[in-house]
Amino acid sequence: MEERKYNIRILSENRELVAIDEFRVVKSAINVLLGESGIGKSLISLAIAGLIDPDELDVHIDGRPYRSYLNSKEAIEIRRNGFFVFQEPSSHLNPLKTLRMQLREGSLEEAPGEESILRKLWQNPKLAEYENILDVYPKPYRPSGGEKQRILAAMAFKKMASTAGSSKGSVYFFDEPTGNLDNKLRNEFLDLLVENFGESRPTILLITHDYSMISRFIGKYPAIGKNIYYRELMLEHGRLRLRDFQPREYLLWLEKRVAAKPPAEKKEMILRLQPEIKVFGRTLHISRDPAGNTPAPLVIRKGTVTYLKAPSGTGKTTIVKIMMGLIKSEKMSMELGDTVYSEETSRNAWAGRVWGKQMTMVFQHADESLNLNSKVKDVFSGLPVVGSMSKEEIADAISELFEEAPTREFLNKKVRFLSGGQKQRLNLLRSLILHTDIIILDEPLNGLDFLSVAKVITMIETKLQSGIGIMVISHNEEVFDTMVGPENIYYLNSSSLD
Amino acid sequence: MDINTSIRKFGFQDLFNRKDLLWLIIWIAGLGLLWIWNALFLNAPAFARLQTAFLNSLLTGMMVVVFSLVLGWITGVSLHLLERSELKTGFAILSFVTDMLRSIPQIIAVLIGYVILTMLLYKGIIQSSFIQLIWIAGTISIAVFLEVADTIKQRIDYYRTLDFVDAMLCCGIKIRRIINIEILWKNSKSHLLHKLIAIFGVSIFLQCSIDFIISVGLSTDVSLINFPMTLGNLLANVDSKQDILALSNLFTDLGYLPEIFKRHLQGLSVASCIVFSLLCIYMIANGFVRRKKLI
Repeated sequence: MEERKYNIRILSENRELVAIDEFRVVKSAINVLLGESGIGKSLISLAIAGLIDPDELDVHIDGRPYRSYLNSKEAIEIRRNGFFVFQEPSSHLNPLKTLRMQLREGSLEEAPGEESILRKLWQNPKLAEYENILDVYPKPYRPSGGEKQRILAAMAFKKMASTAGSSKGSVYFFDEPTGNLDNKLRNEFLDLLVENFGESRPTILLITHDYSMISRFIGKYPAIGKNIYYRELMLEHGRLRLRDFQPREYLLWLEKRVAAKPPAEKKEMILRLQPEIKVFGRTLHISRDPAGNTPAPLVIRKGTVTYLKAPSGTGKTTIVKIMMGLIKSEKMSMELGDTVYSEETSRNAWAGRVWGKQMTMVFQHADESLNLNSKVKDVFSGLPVVGSMSKEEIADAISELFEEAPTREFLNKKVRFLSGGQKQRLNLLRSLILHTDIIILDEPLNGLDFLSVAKVITMIETKLQSGIGIMVISHNEEVFDTMVGPENIYYLNSSSLD
Repeated sequence: MDINTSIRKFGFQDLFNRKDLLWLIIWIAGLGLLWIWNALFLNAPAFARLQTAFLNSLLTGMMVVVFSLVLGWITGVSLHLLERSELKTGFAILSFVTDMLRSIPQIIAVLIGYVILTMLLYKGIIQSSFIQLIWIAGTISIAVFLEVADTIKQRIDYYRTLDFVDAMLCCGIKIRRIINIEILWKNSKSHLLHKLIAIFGVSIFLQCSIDFIISVGLSTDVSLINFPMTLGNLLANVDSKQDILALSNLFTDLGYLPEIFKRHLQGLSVASCIVFSLLCIYMIANGFVRRKKLI
């Protein structure tokens, strides 16, 4: 096992963004880099790939100024023979060239296997389905994030295929490559990754906070296991550290959860949403089966988790925003307690009776749902419960989801300076401390490390015991399937009104 | 340069990067120098007039800033809330009033305020100089506060499109708290401060312009003698005008230059005080925009 150890420091305007003494990358192996979001995984990878502008940030690698690293043989080799799949696909693609042109640009022109890669990533559809997309000029809203992400993956795999047999020294970076993909497409991506790795054995750095990838690797590719290294980037006393992550840790936790899954029990209903909702010229159908053949009202019961599943982009977030009265639908009907809410109901009714009283919701992206200019302690100001909670009680609530009791320094820190995982925990906590009948969680495990995932799940279970109903939308099916019975799982399908 | 050195580095380079701070220092230092020079060479009555004029103008400018902020805040927030509420008539009325105000040129609005002030002076309703300054500041504020109201409404409208407002509403946080504290106080201070710096500059400019218009004989009733001493007022004074005209001597006799800085100090000091202050305020506002990346 040949390992490259990097010592990396990155500063911006005298502020240290990243500092890690020993960042290890095993050569000719798949390095799965886990850890909560916003901790520095992407920045470290960009630095190694030689993609940071030395005029923008002050970067030092192994004690050397960045320009010296950029001119080293190692960095030149990485840039020439490697590939970087960016987390945000729109920032990677050139808006002045069609996707097809970009798929065949430079060294990719002669690369083999384009059609088979695309077919796999589009799960073997008719050729025309992705053929149409290839002639599109990428814009922020078109094609979809998932489609752009698959195009980028296809480019990386083409490059890998083209260097098969001579890829020693090349490094491929995949930064959250499946963030916009549902579980099926994510698995398809992982299968292609393993397949291409097997042929050319490049060094792969796969950045993710999706721990369920571990089950896929171990379950489907046990033979290649010795070539996969799991590492978790974590903050320890304010310093970054890379620790070896034992996949067993996660798998055992899952096993325990499956064993302790509570039996099905029909509890008191709190909310019922009729299965047909019309919005933005589309009809959304709730059903009991993935194909949408058995329409059924969505029911939330006391002390129970209700799970709504659907592929990305179907409209899961739209549905919960309609339920919360944030989006006006063309047709909907929802019973909540003794009141019926419909498309006619005014927003004031939700404001007066529902928000923070009967229902609350945790939004998907913590970065967008928290006020980044607030201090941590102010995140809880103005909540309907805060008058009845002492400062100590708030601090206790924070310590439930954080490693230790919050210090004064932490409480006075601006939210924008927290890591993505810390923001997500605050985002969750703000709703979890409320005394509502229902909490809707939209991708609650986004950006969390394994320890935080376990803590959040424990906190959700505690809330359930207190009798509230929870509705979940999440790509982490593996985790939520351990706490939701089939009787509480619903599927969402969408059809155009015309 | 090693990392520790780069962390510690601070000083002139940093000051040059903060152009707003640099120009604030230049402004204060320039005014300080002018004050010292005048204290040495300007006769005592004129020096006293100059100091009073400067302080009155400064005070009026500051009052304009405060009044505009309060009026703009109330108007901006009300417009936003009425626009989203079911009270469409309320929104229509307030929009009509603000549009009416917007249609009146600022200088005309301020002039009308001065005319009314004169009437109040003649009727003996207003006598104290301080009340007169408050009236002038109020008049200028009515002419300029819509700029603050527009900024406030734009900021609220922009933040209402982001998830964080909906996320807070869903948690039961009141909309008035979200708008006033979360959006305006925590996220718009820089934008408002920039606008207020500009309004401070505009108020000085408007005061001087109006005082000068009045000085050329707008009406027999409206006369500068009745109004409190301000920089514009002092500039329009006959002595100051003669001082400025004395600059033309330089065309024929360059040797007269030292005399300009000793014998014609009142007019030159007022003029440079106005021009230098307006320049510095403009540069401070610009520097602030760049430092806070507001564009």
